Amino acid sequence: MAAAVSAARLWGKSRGLGQAAFLLLQRPGARGLARSHPHRQQQQAFSSLDDKPQFPGASAEFIDKLEFIQPNVISGIPIYRVMDRQGQIINPSEDPHLPQEKVLKFYRSMTLLNTMDRILYESQRQGRISFYMTNYGEEGTHVGSAAALDGTDLVFGQYREAGVLMYRDYPLELFMAQCYGNISDPGKGRQMPVHYGCKERHFVTISSPLATQIPQAVGAAYAAKRANANRTVICYFGEGAASEGDAHAGFNFAATLECPIIFFCRNNGYAISTPTYEQYRGDGIAARGPGYGIMSIRVDGNDVFAVYNATKEARRRAVAENQPFLIEAMTYRIGHHSTSDDSSAYRSVDEVNYWDKQDHPISRLRHYLVSRGWWDEEQEKAWRKQSRKKVIEAFEQAERKLKPNPNLLFSDVYQEMPAQLRKQQESLARHLQTYGEHYPLDHYDK
Amino acid sequence: MNLFQAITSALDNSLAKDPTAVIFGEDVAFGGVFRCTVGLRDKYGKDRVFNTPLCEQGIVGFGIGIAVTGATAIAEIQFADYIFPAFDQIVNEAAKYRYRSGDLFNCGSLTIRAPWGCVGHGALYHSQCPEAFFAHCPGIKVVIPRSPFQAKGLLLSCIEDKNPCIFFEPKILYRAAVEQVPVEPYNIPLSQAEVIQEGSDVTLVAWGTQVHVIREVASMAREKLGVSCEVIDLRTIVPWDVDTVCKEECFLHLEAPISRVCGYDTPFPHIFEPFYIPDKWKCYDALRKMINY
Repeated sequence: MAAAVSAARLWGKSRGLGQAAFLLLQRPGARGLARSHPHRQQQQAFSSLDDKPQFPGASAEFIDKLEFIQPNVISGIPIYRVMDRQGQIINPSEDPHLPQEKVLKFYRSMTLLNTMDRILYESQRQGRISFYMTNYGEEGTHVGSAAALDGTDLVFGQYREAGVLMYRDYPLELFMAQCYGNISDPGKGRQMPVHYGCKERHFVTISSPLATQIPQAVGAAYAAKRANANRTVICYFGEGAASEGDAHAGFNFAATLECPIIFFCRNNGYAISTPTYEQYRGDGIAARGPGYGIMSIRVDGNDVFAVYNATKEARRRAVAENQPFLIEAMTYRIGHHSTSDDSSAYRSVDEVNYWDKQDHPISRLRHYLVSRGWWDEEQEKAWRKQSRKKVIEAFEQAERKLKPNPNLLFSDVYQEMPAQLRKQQESLARHLQTYGEHYPLDHYDK
Repeated sequence: MNLFQAITSALDNSLAKDPTAVIFGEDVAFGGVFRCTVGLRDKYGKDRVFNTPLCEQGIVGFGIGIAVTGATAIAEIQFADYIFPAFDQIVNEAAKYRYRSGDLFNCGSLTIRAPWGCVGHGALYHSQCPEAFFAHCPGIKVVIPRSPFQAKGLLLSCIEDKNPCIFFEPKILYRAAVEQVPVEPYNIPLSQAEVIQEGSDVTLVAWGTQVHVIREVASMAREKLGVSCEVIDLRTIVPWDVDTVCKEECFLHLEAPISRVCGYDTPFPHIFEPFYIPDKWKCYDALRKMINY
């Protein structure tokens, strides 16, 4: 790795084609002539006998045969995995040999998330919260990646990454507080459920517009690089969000500005009802990486060790080499898009059942744990009971709490409250004095 | 200094004082298409003054991300006419970052700068004044200076303000406007309009280049009509200084309806610019009709 880094430094001084070949192996898309700025290198005398291409825009040879490049989607970028579907390690040299406690934390995080999802989904059905999104089937992508990061690495998510927060020990009370919008919500009840954020755990607050977080994550990574913070940024998004212009912008900026960032795409097969065949026609998201000059890999997202290994290595290199990495984690969205969706309208129950029963990240990890003697049926029963109890307790407490004072409707628009807004706040207070009976004031903090 | 030099001076002061501050956008590295960033890359380094790819939504999104970490981000959009790809990042993200997170996160250290307004030959896409699109967006500040001295003080205030700001720079004034501008940093407060001329009969309000037009109209009104005009430069479009411009009850004190003089409801034309713009004759005529109401 030291060789790659020092070669990258030599690169800027344009040492010629020998170095170029080495670096093309290391950094796909790195160009010879383009990387050494034409204004900064000494102008080479262009001999009229020199028949090599001189274009600043590409480092390539001439060809005299007319041939279009055929995009390859029949056999796409291969999918890295460590465990088979029965949780058995395939290639022992890829086993990360994580200690029992750590792997048990993976398992508990994924299953606790699953339990919380079931209870909160149900609570929406019962009218207790307004909206919810489950993470069924994608728990491995969250936990495997979160475990591979440093606790201070900054996370920009989309909305289906609650397992990252769960792994970082975000308390159930606060998940619930945000969903209920109660007085304990650090977000002050401003957003719809599942729009979590946590400053102490370096998880930037979720926003609904898709892919907007991608160029933001790149900017944050650039700032981390400047600060010599030894910190990376991870940016999660789905394969649908990857169609947005912001995704293209983010990838291109990360590469050109040499940012220490991990782009983590959860390719779960659907964007609400839109299957991947209607989302893109190329070889998924991983194949786009080299087009930007970004190191890329595709992994089995339901294999928590594969996700872990890929993220771990990407993190190490992103920080050491100041370049972006793209991980496309293939997985499946077992649940509906949200409580506003009924996916039986656009996919078969058989398809969903296959993933639930035959290729689930939680099951695969459980098989691994059991075969190592680290887990058994008794512990499973006890844990299910205990985790369910914890979730239900947190949920009942969240239900009982008041909502925040309506004055909090007006704060944080700006750092300071402008005079006009203060007038509006006073106007609402006067309005409630006269018309308060028509408002659900009993549920709100006085 | 002229206006672009005043901008450079403000940026120079900012980068000198704040080690986290960076400037980025299209073509800023060599000095910028309007020379606002000349010399800054050599002085502060290529990691602090750098080009981005050609992508406004990326520029603003990237800038938000820098600001989220607490560093100071100064983003340049090459022309205000091209700010629209970044509208989602500005309105849905930057403006709402603090509020939606319950103040856990914010991008207050982001400032977006863009050349603004008509220039004689700019036509549809090099003349626009898009502040109205942002005027109803709570969470951002929009500021427009009328002169080099105002520009430096207001830009420094925007950069130091703890909220995301958009700073529009009247491009027609970049070279044409010249005045004494201190080399050291100074601030002009945001959300404070300036009464640049006292008057008792009619109030004229404008911002940016138009302030000079109405100042001339005020002279014409005094000479030709014996009318005393109050001239106000709004300076900050949002949050705006309501108290200086009008009292809440002023509606009942008006002796004539408020008159708006602006461009027509068409895209900004090329060859027809002299007929399109709200020049001093149109403003004078509106004033004359108002006096005779």
